Amino acid sequence: MSHLKRGATFLLALSVALPAARAADDVITIGACQPITGRFAFAGVALNAALVDFVAYANEKGLVKGKKLAYVFEDSGYDTDRAVACFKRLMAQHSPVIMYGESTGLGKAIAPELTSRYKVLYGSTSFSSELADPKTHPYSFVSGPTYSDQFGILLEYIARNKGAAKPRVAFFYSDTEFGKDPIPFARKRAAELGLDVVAEVVTKVGAVDVTSEVLQLKKTQPDYVIFQGYVLAPIPEVVRAARDFGLKTKFMGTFWSMDKSIIDKLGQDADGYMGVNPYAYYYEEGAPGIAAMRAWNQKAHPEEKYRPSSYIQGWFTGMVYVEAINRVLAAKKPVTGENLAAALDAIKDWDTGGVTGKVTFVDHKAGVGRVYRANAQKGVFEPASDWIYVK
Amino acid sequence: MLIGNYKETYASDEAVFRTPAVRGWMVALAVAAMVFPFVAGDYLLYLVNLMGVLALAALGLNVLIGFTGQISLGHAAFMGVGSYTAAILATRFGLSFWLSIPAGGVAACAAGMIVGVPSLRIRGLYLAIATLAAQVIFEWAFTNWTSVTGGIRGINVPPARILGAPIDDDRRAYFLIQAVVAVHFLLAANLRRSRWGRAFVAVRDRDIAAEIVGVNLFRTKILAFMVSSYYAGIAGGLWVYFMKVVTPENFPLSLSIQYLAMVVVGGLGSIPGTIFGTVFMTMVPELLKLGTGLARAVWPDAQSYLFPLRDVVFGVLIVVFLIFEPHGLAEMWNRLKRFFALWPFEK
Amino acid sequence: MDHLLQLLVSGVVTGGIYALVAMGFVVVYKATRVINFATGELMMLGAFFAYSAMTALQVPFAVALAVAVLASASVGAATERLVLRPLLGQRAISVIMVTIGLAAVFKGLAQVVWSGEYRSFPPIFPRAPVALGPIILPSRQLYPFLIAVAAIAVVALGFRFTRTGIAMRATADDQAAAFSMGIDIRRVFSLAWMLAAITAAVAGIVVGVIGGISPQLGAIGLRMFPVVILGGLDSIAGALVGGVIIGVLENLAGGYLDPLLEGTSVKEVVPFVVLVLVLMIRPYGLFGTREVERL
Repeated sequence: MSHLKRGATFLLALSVALPAARAADDVITIGACQPITGRFAFAGVALNAALVDFVAYANEKGLVKGKKLAYVFEDSGYDTDRAVACFKRLMAQHSPVIMYGESTGLGKAIAPELTSRYKVLYGSTSFSSELADPKTHPYSFVSGPTYSDQFGILLEYIARNKGAAKPRVAFFYSDTEFGKDPIPFARKRAAELGLDVVAEVVTKVGAVDVTSEVLQLKKTQPDYVIFQGYVLAPIPEVVRAARDFGLKTKFMGTFWSMDKSIIDKLGQDADGYMGVNPYAYYYEEGAPGIAAMRAWNQKAHPEEKYRPSSYIQGWFTGMVYVEAINRVLAAKKPVTGENLAAALDAIKDWDTGGVTGKVTFVDHKAGVGRVYRANAQKGVFEPASDWIYVK
Repeated sequence: MLIGNYKETYASDEAVFRTPAVRGWMVALAVAAMVFPFVAGDYLLYLVNLMGVLALAALGLNVLIGFTGQISLGHAAFMGVGSYTAAILATRFGLSFWLSIPAGGVAACAAGMIVGVPSLRIRGLYLAIATLAAQVIFEWAFTNWTSVTGGIRGINVPPARILGAPIDDDRRAYFLIQAVVAVHFLLAANLRRSRWGRAFVAVRDRDIAAEIVGVNLFRTKILAFMVSSYYAGIAGGLWVYFMKVVTPENFPLSLSIQYLAMVVVGGLGSIPGTIFGTVFMTMVPELLKLGTGLARAVWPDAQSYLFPLRDVVFGVLIVVFLIFEPHGLAEMWNRLKRFFALWPFEK
Repeated sequence: MDHLLQLLVSGVVTGGIYALVAMGFVVVYKATRVINFATGELMMLGAFFAYSAMTALQVPFAVALAVAVLASASVGAATERLVLRPLLGQRAISVIMVTIGLAAVFKGLAQVVWSGEYRSFPPIFPRAPVALGPIILPSRQLYPFLIAVAAIAVVALGFRFTRTGIAMRATADDQAAAFSMGIDIRRVFSLAWMLAAITAAVAGIVVGVIGGISPQLGAIGLRMFPVVILGGLDSIAGALVGGVIIGVLENLAGGYLDPLLEGTSVKEVVPFVVLVLVLMIRPYGLFGTREVERL
């Protein structure tokens, strides 16, 4: 008999502890499958923390009139099978109207059913240009510029700041989806801007030895090298080896390699490292949106002294969702995926309080970012340009 | 333990389902399987479909490891070969899934032959290492042979069509997957009791003795490896129609290792063990999720500590099973059955 | 010509580091006939131990190295005692799977304790590169290479000239004979695993210095199979020679083949192609024991 009692108690505890299945009418649920463990953990943890924080912030400040936001998340470990399972589970249990995904892989796998069945607004950690295609992914939005856009911003910057000679550019990327996504566009855009792509170096992520790659750079002598597809390794190694070999190249990176931590890792070699970041940094002044973020963290998480770029990405994603929800509510329409997507499509020149530039969603992405330069002494990135907009 | 069970013909002695009780259970199982998709929730249905595909691939691996005693670390890569073949045939040549999935199996089989021939000529663990190399090389080919595989973008596959109706939701996919899986499980059971199956087992248990009895070691091992790769290829073909997209990042080494875990935990050489192992390995993360959800009520930070525990639990399960229950879940199941069969007598 | 020379020298230096990683495999295989798939994760743990010693305990590098070595040795001994000894005599697949399971456990535990973030060591070696004529050797490669060579030399000489080393070699050759000669097999296994963990720790620290530390550091372990197979699964000299050859081949491929290919790189796949070739032509490698039976 004690077995039965134990079983019953367990089931009772389960039913009490499991979250409510149906969302109440004045609660808008955002679901997320986050890469909290696995290869992308460093970003997943921060992104998730940011969304948790922003939802709490939005609820406390009443950013959404008359409604509360709820945020439910699970770890999908950067594994597409698990992520799809997580997606379906959250949809079944919580019926969110907005879903956030962990990777390009999930975005692609879930796309057909997202369009035909689920019809919720979908955003993800990925800046892949594949997901910013209104025709094939009508519900997917990139809350920022795609990798192609980011490359475009960097190439624009190079073209604007060129001297007399034709600038020589090299692309240094990993042989992953993350690395190769923007390259075809980048080649085209470089040609359009009159830049010479002198080398394309491809490596595995986290290579131990980069001598042959750096030697390739030494042979081709580019003025600028743009990294894509790496978070940390092997960028510091490449930069240091290039300096060792006497190269005067300027190195640039896109979003994931522009976190402040890379300056710490590079030490004195960080000087002159540049890159594009769609969002401002946590320590920047003169941006009310960032100040509000800092104030919230001071109150809720006083032990966190700094928030990485992926946190800002998550926070901004929250801002995008709230903006979409508010627009739909203002138009007295029901909050559904279709209406949210339409609302996002209509966003034009939205002032984000300095978190990023003025946002206009074109083709389900917002092509805006700023070029930053590393200041090794101060250990921070400083803006090297104003907000640059690309199509 | 079967009492009062005797056979009068060779055929009935060699049958796959030996007793009326077993046959009865199989019928009940089949009926339940038919009804299941109409009563199960979305999420569970998806999981069952996924487990079906994984179990199929795991069965192939079990034929290789459990029956023949060879180790493969590249099973995911062969699944990838099957997936890509099916995807390419479906998109570029417009073949229907009736042809593209089996073609995927055959392609994987051929790949298996290429990998197996050099490495199975020698005794020892060399197949393991050769398959590891195959895993790396195939993954590289998936990513970089862009003209054929679409590179990092992968290939999007339109849903399978039966008599014009597209199979684009989990319920219809369920029937297709279960049909294929059931057929291949029966094939494997049949293989086990055939001449080749006995040759496999002989090679595993004592290959010198097998050689003396006249079993051609090389041919037997190659056949086992080809069968295993074929299963992986079919599973890959099914998977790509189920997921509707294939990318190079879907077949990493960690998937090969997951298959190994499924086979080992389920029970090497046991066909129902394969299913147990697959279900177990897929459901453990789900249970863990439940656990972290419960813990969150008392310990808000639980998730950041408990999420990485998935890897730890995975590893610990493997280690514990290997030390304490080397014959896997199948053995635990058998023990349970024996207990009920012999009750009230002692085990 | 300079280009080629630079590639060769850098290849040798990298190869030395590969050899150190490969030695982790060889030491275990040599003594126990087990292919240890957890070598990469032991490397990762060693790197984390040293990192924690340097940052949390604020000790200089040499002390951190010692701390990491001791900690890893305990992990190795505990592993052997608790996990591998119960499996003595079981099939190869079981033991291989156990090491795979261990790898997962180590990786998960590292993630719990240290989180998934990338860390890097505080600067340890002098920043300036060393120049040998026209050849430039970055300091982060040269000094780890020297450490690696020293470690390999110590282990190789240890195996050759100390009693323990001879005991290990005897056990590897023929367990029953060694046992009947009075060698304590269990102690030999313990020592073998401790030694493997120590070499893995040093290798991990070396790799961590170059590329940063994270729970994913262990992934490099499996990329060392070409080195181990080329050199011979049970030969330490083979690990060294194999490592150097693979390092040089990788660099040559990267230096001459990659520039010709647009959008791809063959550098990482070349060692595995070599692996396949070696398996086909000379499966026991350059220096491995010739115990091949063709079917």
